[in-house]
Amino acid sequence: MTLLRNRLWLVTLTALIALFVVNWILQPNLVTPNVLKSNLTVFLPIVLVAIGQTYVVLGGDIDLSVGSVVALVNVVTVSVIAALGGGPGGVMLGMGAGLLTGALCGMVNGLLISGLRFQPIVTTFATGIIFGGLALLVLPTAGLPVPAEYWRTYGGYALGLPVVLWIFIGALIAIAIISRRAFFKHLSAAGGQRTAAFQTGLKVGQIRIMAYVLCGLFAAVAALCLTGETASGDPLMGRMLALSSISAVVLGGTALSGGSGSAFGSVLGALVLGMIGNVIFFAGLPFDYQTLIQGLITLLALAGGVLVSRR
Amino acid sequence: MNRATLLLTNPLVLATLSILALLAVGETLSPGFARGDQIIRLLTVSAILGMVAAGQSLVVIGGREGIDLSVGAMISLGAVLAGNVMAGSDGGIVPAILVAGGATFVVGLVNGLGVTFLRIPPLVMTLGMTGVVQGGLIVLSRGIPSGNAAPSLMSFVNRPLLLGVPGILWLWALVGIAMWFLLRRTQLGYAIYAMGSNERAAELTGLPVRLIRTLLYGLSGLMAGITGVVVIGYTGNSFVSVGDQYVLPSVIAVVIGGISLAGGSGNYFGVMLGAIALTLLQSVLITLQMEFWGRQLIFGGVLLLLMLLYGRTKQLRV
Amino acid sequence: MSPVLEARNITKRFGAVTALSDGSLTVEPGEIHALLGANGCGKSTLSKVIAGTVAPNSGVLRFNGSDIAPRSPRDAEALGIALFYQELSLVPQLSVADNIFLGHERRTAAGFIDAKQLRHDTEALLQRFAGVAGDGFSADAPVSTLAPDQRQIVEILKVLARKPRLIIFDESTAALDRRQVEVFFDILRSLKADGVSSIFISHRMDEIFAICDRITVMRNGVTVTTLTTAETDRDTVVHAMVGELAVPQRFARNSAVAAEPRLVVSQLSSRRLDSVSFDARPGEILGLGGLQGQGQSAVLRSLFGAEPLTDGSVVLDGKTLTLRKPADAIRAGLAYVSGDRGRDAAFHGRSIFENIAAASLVKERRRLVWPNQLKQRFIDAAAALNTKYDGLDAPIGSLSGGNQQKIFISRWLATNSQVLLFDDPTKGIDLAAKADFFTLARGLADQGASIIFYASEDSELLSLCDRILVFNSGAIAAELTGDTLTAFHLTNAAYGKAA
Repeated sequence: MTLLRNRLWLVTLTALIALFVVNWILQPNLVTPNVLKSNLTVFLPIVLVAIGQTYVVLGGDIDLSVGSVVALVNVVTVSVIAALGGGPGGVMLGMGAGLLTGALCGMVNGLLISGLRFQPIVTTFATGIIFGGLALLVLPTAGLPVPAEYWRTYGGYALGLPVVLWIFIGALIAIAIISRRAFFKHLSAAGGQRTAAFQTGLKVGQIRIMAYVLCGLFAAVAALCLTGETASGDPLMGRMLALSSISAVVLGGTALSGGSGSAFGSVLGALVLGMIGNVIFFAGLPFDYQTLIQGLITLLALAGGVLVSRR
Repeated sequence: MNRATLLLTNPLVLATLSILALLAVGETLSPGFARGDQIIRLLTVSAILGMVAAGQSLVVIGGREGIDLSVGAMISLGAVLAGNVMAGSDGGIVPAILVAGGATFVVGLVNGLGVTFLRIPPLVMTLGMTGVVQGGLIVLSRGIPSGNAAPSLMSFVNRPLLLGVPGILWLWALVGIAMWFLLRRTQLGYAIYAMGSNERAAELTGLPVRLIRTLLYGLSGLMAGITGVVVIGYTGNSFVSVGDQYVLPSVIAVVIGGISLAGGSGNYFGVMLGAIALTLLQSVLITLQMEFWGRQLIFGGVLLLLMLLYGRTKQLRV
Repeated sequence: MSPVLEARNITKRFGAVTALSDGSLTVEPGEIHALLGANGCGKSTLSKVIAGTVAPNSGVLRFNGSDIAPRSPRDAEALGIALFYQELSLVPQLSVADNIFLGHERRTAAGFIDAKQLRHDTEALLQRFAGVAGDGFSADAPVSTLAPDQRQIVEILKVLARKPRLIIFDESTAALDRRQVEVFFDILRSLKADGVSSIFISHRMDEIFAICDRITVMRNGVTVTTLTTAETDRDTVVHAMVGELAVPQRFARNSAVAAEPRLVVSQLSSRRLDSVSFDARPGEILGLGGLQGQGQSAVLRSLFGAEPLTDGSVVLDGKTLTLRKPADAIRAGLAYVSGDRGRDAAFHGRSIFENIAAASLVKERRRLVWPNQLKQRFIDAAAALNTKYDGLDAPIGSLSGGNQQKIFISRWLATNSQVLLFDDPTKGIDLAAKADFFTLARGLADQGASIIFYASEDSELLSLCDRILVFNSGAIAAELTGDTLTAFHLTNAAYGKAA
């Protein structure tokens, strides 16, 4: 246990490899460019949301509103694109509006929790409801397709590699950059021992708000990816993302109590969750059982993750 | 703080005033809103919410960020199980209650064990359990609505039983008395408040805090399961997501009722008023033809406002 | 030369408790200035006010000749003031290097943390303690893996890395061994040579006389006097700390202490206790003394089943007790009153009735609660302590600190427990309430109860106890009875052994 405490991501990596092998056996065409690409397309949103969630959890908080943020960003983006007539300029502006929406949602959460000292759990639960309501206001029913260039580009290739892979690589680079900034240390300090961080002279309030903004931004990028996949707006998109992102974060070795962990671990955690879904699907289980098994594994992973990372 | 503001921040006063104001608004918007039979109908809906909120109250009062988000799935579980066991016959009512209540009690205990012994934050644990129960329900019912309410159960919920009041309201009153007795006249009740107020101090007075906390989640599951039986009596049949709509209102009713989310305070009488106020609010919003999104905004806003009043964390500099 | 720091008439209240009623202190440039006083006299609060962590209620702070009012540790640091926190300000999850330079990370041109430079700077700092810091002490080690002395060294280096002009060292040597203290003193001297001023808080008298230029003594939240080290001696300082030599009121000792012990404690061992053995007789008030945190609380909490024991036995009235949880102790007739009311005793927001009832319900295994059956008993218990309250239904928060503590003692009086474990019960309560508590404790002992009493204020132990066990590092270092029950002996026993 002691050996594993700070290396939970190693366990997760091992699990990921094992799942990959099992998946390969069950689905012999897994290791073909197209299948791998479609897998990555499915996993990418949860990977991105989990990365954002990591920063909030690292700071000792939690964000249950990410699912609704994804939905809101999606409907804002498709609505802006539609309103601007769907040209390339409109698409760019729409994506910009989406990113801004995500950052603003994170800012609202951060201000309420860090500024007004609200409890993070119930507050993001409540803002999640509000963001979800706003999504329904912007777009009451699913629809409003995006221009074909949008989803063709997302599903296509650039410089010989799939665009989704570029986004994935981009996310990894972003993680690497953030983890080498002083901000990352300050965030870990604010989550690990908040009093000590304050006594050390860190701007704990600003740091926590920044984490929520980052979380909102990553959720927004995830929403843009989902939009590329579904090619239209859906105000109910991403409902399970809050819980699965937290599961991925826990699986990746980040302590829910804050202060230690890494976004890289969360990426592994998200991939494991995705592979579990794959394996269940290809294992030929009756469709009825898939939700149950997925739920059980998520719960067990949560329990196991919390148990191992506890000191 | 002077007396007037003190009175206005008293949750009971606030809830009562809201109820009166909402009734007035409703009557103005649509005459007949506050008529006797309408009130009975509103109270019936409130009773269903109030019964889930009873279990939710116990979990929240018990403290340590106690919350049970699995109540929706538990209601569905209770309703589907009860529907299958009853299968439309009166003789199945008692077994249905036993099966529905027993199953949800056990699932609730599992929540409690996760929260207490694995120290998983309650919100995460119960949200995770929601996924499991929903998955289980899909297996159980093969995705098809199944089971019917027994005629007696339906008339118990929907028809006048005594003094022109349906049985469900008498049952709710009974739940209210039972909750009062549990909280004010048993060691368990005193322990719930004590541990919600200060867990460490409760342990130092010898109270079996972990055991009780586990039990609280079991009781919350049980209440949700019983509510599920009532729900199938109200609607006549059940489906796998019938309980989802109660999760958020059960939390808000508890908070409106004056139970601090930090634990250790409040009583069920306030929650009953909270359930009525919330049902009235929903009813007025529907009368206003407010759409789903607008209702969501208002609910979320109300919850945030209540957080401002009752749920803030401590300052770093003293 | 004008002083670096002047603090005048600083006051600070925490709720109903006054931690500091007149804190004053003047520090000259390049001076090492000792701040001395008994536990809870306000040293740490004054330090935190100077460092911006605690907001004072009133008073004047001047730094380098101008008035300052630091609103956060950040402000104070910008002025050049740094505080070594007694409870340490380290983040366990981060490495030694990250902790030392937290908030002061050197960055590359692109804004990244300069890991190489960070490591280099850290190793230069660690070099000072090379050879005395022990195993596993490196720039990359997470602080959570370090021993207590190593953590203190990290906190020292963290303070130094901020290059302040005034440093407050609050108990910075408490966990250090002799060689480590020597290194630390060398650092203090070189700071002094550079004109940096230090405020040095320590319980070790030898250290103070070895390194400090002047000594300021505090007592009960008030600055009493400032002495020049070269012109004073140890006795004078101890007297200033203790106050009048004669203890104001000595409660008549119980002559009829039974000969047969009621409670026999043998070889108690745990993470914080080292083979502690003693006994307590009916009618006796047994004191636990010594410096704070030497195992006194650990003994009481272990006896109450609130802390695990690795070894040892507890026999009460001839029966061996199994103490796995507080309920076991309560049903055996033990009671525990903590001085940290807010954390350990108060059911905030609940009524006085509920605050008293909890223990009785557990002890008597009452499944149902009929308040009317219990009320009279609770009223009697509260009356025994002269508690002032508006009735049992009033919320606990409506009472002053002293009256609250009386309620928490009544909680146990109502259970009629025969062995009372008092863990610094008078911390932060007013003098009148203390007097009521003393009368009650003596009265209970006279009626045959056994009382084990830890107090952080020596004068309380001396005025109340029949016998005092002086603790050091989790073990009993001395036993004071009869003629040795004096402030002088007690202070010397506590400090002498610790030096």
